Formats: sequence, structure tokens, C-alpha cells
Amino acid sequence: DYDLIIIGGGSGGLACSKEAAALGKKVMVLDYVVPTPLGTSWGLGGTCVNVGCIPKKLMHQAALLGQALQDSRKYGWQYEQQVKHNWEVMVEAIQNYIGSLNWGYRVSLREKSVTYLNSYGEFIEPHKIKATNRKGQVSYHTAETFVLATGERPRYLGIPGDKEYCITSDDLFSLPYCPGKTLVVGASYVALECAGFLAGLGLDVTVMVRSILLRGFDQEMAEKVGAYMETHGIKFIRNLQIFIQVEQLEEGMPGRLKVTAKSTEGPEIFEEEYNTVLIAIGRDACTRNIGLETIGVKINEKNGKVPVNDEEQTNVPYVYAIGDILDGKLELTPVAIQAGKLLARRLYGGSSTKCDYINVPTTVFTPLEYGSCGLAEERAVEEYGKQNLEVYHSLFWPLEWTVPGRDNNTCYAKIICSKHDDNRVIGFHVLGPNAGEVTQGFAAAIKCGLTKELLDETIGIHPTCGEVFTTMDITKSSGQDITQRGC
Amino acid sequence: FCGDKDAEGRSWCPDCVTAEPVVRRELHNMPDESVFIYCLVGDRAYWKDPNNEFRKNLKLTGVPTLLKYGTPQKLVEEECFKAELVRMLFTED
Repeated sequence: DYDLIIIGGGSGGLACSKEAAALGKKVMVLDYVVPTPLGTSWGLGGTCVNVGCIPKKLMHQAALLGQALQDSRKYGWQYEQQVKHNWEVMVEAIQNYIGSLNWGYRVSLREKSVTYLNSYGEFIEPHKIKATNRKGQVSYHTAETFVLATGERPRYLGIPGDKEYCITSDDLFSLPYCPGKTLVVGASYVALECAGFLAGLGLDVTVMVRSILLRGFDQEMAEKVGAYMETHGIKFIRNLQIFIQVEQLEEGMPGRLKVTAKSTEGPEIFEEEYNTVLIAIGRDACTRNIGLETIGVKINEKNGKVPVNDEEQTNVPYVYAIGDILDGKLELTPVAIQAGKLLARRLYGGSSTKCDYINVPTTVFTPLEYGSCGLAEERAVEEYGKQNLEVYHSLFWPLEWTVPGRDNNTCYAKIICSKHDDNRVIGFHVLGPNAGEVTQGFAAAIKCGLTKELLDETIGIHPTCGEVFTTMDITKSSGQDITQRGC
Repeated sequence: FCGDKDAEGRSWCPDCVTAEPVVRRELHNMPDESVFIYCLVGDRAYWKDPNNEFRKNLKLTGVPTLLKYGTPQKLVEEECFKAELVRMLFTED
């Protein structure tokens, strides 16, 4: 019936569908959110819009504004009232915005004549899917080509009480009551970003970390992110490995939960009471229950992800995959969108441009933001060898932080250069305010082949944080002190 | 929401004139017990004033606007010309 059926209406799926429809194809998008164990669900748009980037950044902003209020007195603002935060007001405003985005996508799909079904799609035979809506009504549809864009959902701990009493990021952004004293389990960027804004809103937050922070990211930067969070009141419990259970002491909004865990190092038992336990230990691809076996699409059994070639094609030629479910690729909204668009253009627009996964910039929106593009230092050392690299670094003090007396010698900038390639910048890292804004421009420069010399020739904008990258002299290899003393 | 009409019943807002028959034709698709409110937003000068009540309190940004009150679902300006979109607003969740 269709040229293209896309399973999943998230960042990747929607971008692909709109591009294919614009190229004149008959397209169907299926999007269905299986409710969380606690019953939370959401509208069209996928993770980013509903339970990811968008609400996350807005709550991060709410927390930053709290900090700004504190700084404001030092800048002369005088007010008697003690300013407090109202969780429900924030959630309502954010959910209203998300609702307008969900609606906007529906209007957009309808205007572009893309058929949208709020139904769960599964393959039942080659080229054919069964779609089940929330009332249980079933319909069948066929297409020449299929795209899997089903995304991921949070993983649980697998201990008694986890699904009954704990929440995940899927629940947090629409939680109708303030979470109160919270335990965040995990050290992923989801865990740290959530812990970060919850603490910024004034809540008592503890982060329980199994081993390292921000796996996959530059570890020097990750430790600095964590250190800042710790000096700003977030408690960290590290190297606690075995969770035993979560019990409910009292029902309520929020209730009271008791968490029991034990260390692998010794016999100590950890027991503590919290209002909310937020599990953020990873996300699993939604590929196990969509009938891929019936049509022979291979997935990586270990993590459920889908291996594809560099044209996003699976082992079954008429089935493609994009977004977070790809094995070995970055889990980022703009990557999924780009992959989706380019795929549609290759399939129907005669293009041969493939998605470029190299030097994709990212930012972790923890209380002290961390932006990066290119290689982590450890990866660079592994790939190039320490002697073939020159790492420049510097601490910096944002001007806006001086007056309110905020942390000095905490914000940090680092670039990794390849000596035998004209000191080409192969790793860019910045820890400081507005890290995302700072990093975006440098990502474009890196795509143009940025070298240390070009950076030095670039004149900085003063006074900004970004200008630190135009005046970096001290290398790690020199061992010189980078502590800042004046302007 | 529509711009005020003159003595001949014609609105000063040309898009409202275009949209009205489209919306009226789809009215029968509304669920039972819905209430359809037809609201005039004043003359051109009042509407253009950035502080008028519609902009301030209902956050309207253009006329015509079709709004499902209490939800973020709305259609603005040229979106109201499309019968399909009007039907979607009236019939879908």
C-alpha cells in the first residue's frame, strides 16, 4: 500500500517521513508509547521532545535561573522575599509547551500527507506489518521499504520494588508532584543532568555510582563535572555495586521509600530513606518485540541494537534503521534527524550523501556544562599515541562569575592536537557556562580542518568564555601551572 | 476567532473570510456536547495593538485562529483553510 512505512515517530522517524513525503512518496508513520510501569505516556515526537532533551533543558534552565537569583543580589538586586520553587508550576508550563510540539508534529504530518497511526507496529511477514492501537483494534499494512526508528526506553535494576516504586526519566518530566529527597541511580549523562537540576531546584539529591561517571566521555572532564556537582551539595556514593531492594514505607505524592544495597568491597549494608528513587542506568533499544525475527532482521543480541552498513541498511535489504537503535552509533537527536533526512534523499531523491558520524559535537547539561567535539583524551592517546599529541589546556573564570564570587579555577578548556598533522584539533573540550553555544561554532571549525595555528590566528571576542580557546599557550606536557590569577 | 464584521457581515480580515466556510462545513464533525464559540476580536486597530486582551490572555498570535480551549491544539491563519486539519482538530484526541 505504501512506498515507505516508518516504525517510530521520534526525531529520526519524523525527519525521514517528511523528507520522503516531500519527494512525493506515499508514507506512513507509526508511533506508539507503551506506558511506563507507573502509567506515564506521551504524544507524538519521540524521546527528545517528550522525555528527553526538551524538558531536560527547560528544567536545567529553571535550575540555572535559581542560581541567577542568588547571584542577582551581588549585582544589586534587592528584594525581601525568600524565593521558592514550585515544581507543579514548572511541570505544567513545560508539559504545555511539549503538548504544542506534539500537536505541531501532527499538523505537519497531515499537511505533508503523511499517514500517522498511533499504533504499535510489528512485522508479521516480509513487507507486512500489523498495527494495534490503544483500543486493541488491528490493521495491516504493506510497503516497499521500511525504516526502524523505535528508539529506546530506560532500563530497570531488576530488583524487588524497582518497577513498582521507582521512577525513570520517562516519568520525571511529567511528575505531578515534587520528587523531594531523591536518590539517582546511575552515572550516565541522564543521571547527572537530572541530579543536577533537581539539586538546583533546591532538592536533597544523592547520586549512586557503580564505577565511573559518564562512560564513553573524556574521563578527566567527567571527574570535573562530578567534582563541581559535589561542591554544590550533591552527594555521591561511589562503588556501591549490589542493590538488594526498594521498599515502600509510606504511600504518597511523594511517598517514602527505603533503599537497601550492599558494597562488593565489604560486608557493609547501605540503608537509606528517600522520597523518590530515579533509575538512570542505561537505555535499551525497542527491537525485541516488533517481529524482526519473522523477517530475519539481525540484531545484536547483547544490547538489542541494530547493526547497519554506512547507508543505514540492515541485513534485510528493504529494511533500514536510524537513530538510537543503531549499533555503535551516537545516540543524539540531530544525528537521527540527519540520518533520516539523508536516507530519504538517497532512497527517493537520487542522492548518494551518507550521514557523517565523525566529529559530532555534544553537550552534557549538568550544573557546570560540558561541551565536546572530537576525541576524548584517552581515545586520542589510544589511537595516535601520547608522543604524537599535544594537549593544550587552561582554567578560566567567566567574567559574570567574578562579582558574585563564584568558583574560580573551575571552568576548564582543553584541546587535543595531532602533531604530525599540522597540529590539527582532534579533540575539543570545554567545561563552563553555555558550553553548548560555545562548542557549536568550534564544531564547524573542526569540520573545516581546524589547526592550533588557525586557532591562534583567530582573534577572541572579549569578554567571553569562548575566547580562551584563542589564547591557549600551556601544554600538558610542559607541566606548567594553569591556575589563574588576574585578567 | 475572527476579525470584526461590517454592516454587510464581511470581516476586515481576508483570511477569516476564506477560513469561515471551511470551518463551518466541518462543524458537524465535532463530538456531541462540544461547544463551538465564535468570537470577534475587534476592529483592525484593536487587533494590531500588541497589548489587546486576546494576545495577552489567550496568547493568540493571528486571526483566524481555531483553538481547542484548554489544550495546546490550535490552527492559525492558513492552517484554517485546510478542511483536513480542521477535521483533525475537531475529531482527534
